[in-house]
Amino acid sequence: MTQRIIDKMAAQPLSRGCCATSGRWYIQPEEDMDIRIEEGADVELLIVDKALAVNLDIEIERGAHLRIVEVVTERSAMQLSVAVGADAECRMTQIVLSPSDMRVAASLVAAGARFELNGAFILTAEEQGSVTVDVNHLSADCVSRTSVKGVASGKAHGSFSGLVYVAPDAQHTDSAQSSRNIVIGDAHIETLPQLEIYADDVKCSHGATVGQMDADAILYMRQRGLSLADAKRLQIEGFISDVVLHASIESLVEPLEELLSVKFNSL
Amino acid sequence: MLKVENLHASVGDKEILKGINLTVKAGEVHAIMGPNGSGKSTLASVLAGNEKFTVTAGKVEFMGEELLDLPIEERSRKGIFLGFQYPVEIPGVTMANFMKLAVNEHRKYRGEQPLTAAEYLKLMREKSAIVELDSKLTSRAVNEGFSGGEKKKNEIFQMAMLDPKLAILDETDSGLDIDALRIVATGVTRLKRDDNATIVITHYQRLLDYIVPDYVHVLYKGRIIYSGDKSLALKLEKEGYDWLINDYKEE
Repeated sequence: MTQRIIDKMAAQPLSRGCCATSGRWYIQPEEDMDIRIEEGADVELLIVDKALAVNLDIEIERGAHLRIVEVVTERSAMQLSVAVGADAECRMTQIVLSPSDMRVAASLVAAGARFELNGAFILTAEEQGSVTVDVNHLSADCVSRTSVKGVASGKAHGSFSGLVYVAPDAQHTDSAQSSRNIVIGDAHIETLPQLEIYADDVKCSHGATVGQMDADAILYMRQRGLSLADAKRLQIEGFISDVVLHASIESLVEPLEELLSVKFNSL
Repeated sequence: MLKVENLHASVGDKEILKGINLTVKAGEVHAIMGPNGSGKSTLASVLAGNEKFTVTAGKVEFMGEELLDLPIEERSRKGIFLGFQYPVEIPGVTMANFMKLAVNEHRKYRGEQPLTAAEYLKLMREKSAIVELDSKLTSRAVNEGFSGGEKKKNEIFQMAMLDPKLAILDETDSGLDIDALRIVATGVTRLKRDDNATIVITHYQRLLDYIVPDYVHVLYKGRIIYSGDKSLALKLEKEGYDWLINDYKEE
């Protein structure tokens, strides 16, 4: 399945310690890696996680645009650190379909930097997993957007923890963070959004919800003839759909939908 | 088609339907009217199979079969459609995708093959025209951001797609301006045939100017206290319910 995604994107493998120029790349990190995104480059990067604990450091130089899709289908523990330079941008989509511990640490190091993460994690049966997103506003005039959706069914246990740190000099920071979650059955999801702000002229919002499925919507769908199982599945699909539909690499929307569809069958 | 006998239903400890008797034959349109809180919506929900309500006595036959043992989705597949008073929004699920699943579920139940993409598109185009539903709406999420009128048109669109034997329209006219009301009512009238039936639940005579009922029933405190022909609706509009309610002695 992951090979299909790589093929679909027509991406080239990126090697360790390398400097990425404009183009489409993929990595399946087996050991710690450092990657530099060249000044002004426009890069699409697919990260397919292996069942390993690795650190990945990415530095985005001035004015470069990096779009990342990270797909996690094996039990992994990846720490991804991204440093976004002046007027550079990182847009990331993270899809976690295995009981993994994922950590993203983004640092906005110079004015005009922008970081955006749209993520989803789905845990079933007795799986346990966590997603941590730390966004560090280290410079003035930077923007960050974090939105992570979680679904847990059966006896699964998930957690989201998000920290937005705004340094004393990081005036005019514009940051939003949201964590929305649906639990089904006896599953649990904990969410811990945090703000740590040391500058006084900033715009920071955060919100978190954990809820059950919408009983009225299920009833509505069943009245139209859908089985209870199909109605539940459709609602979860709908909940997650915008993450996939707006995946930061457009050519991956379809294979990601297929990948999710397999996971939905096990809900 | 539908035979309701001595139907009692409760939510929690509160009895809402206190012995409903109603017979609907193919080709008929029945209007159910009555003051707020009389049990109109509950009757619609119980017939559709909403599990929030408990049936405590009575029986319901639909197409010669016992209905009350069936779950809501099976009643739908057998041909019962409920037009919701408050259509529900389903974020992220497109109308087109939702209806495709529903239509194919119904087809599967009848032992038919699912529609091809082309057949489905054609059906959707045909049926959305019946209620002048903007075809762009079918690519949007179910009822999300729809205006009041669009939501109700969308209910009748779904009714047209599923082609039910019995449609129960729960206050489909509420919150509609006169144009939307006309479109919705015309849609319902166009879908009327000799082999299907409609129960229209409404507060106002206004809707019945467009959908002409064969019978009008007045529901009050969980019972049908009076039935008549379409002239009853006009009389209710003019004189209100008081003359009926005063006549009616609760046992």
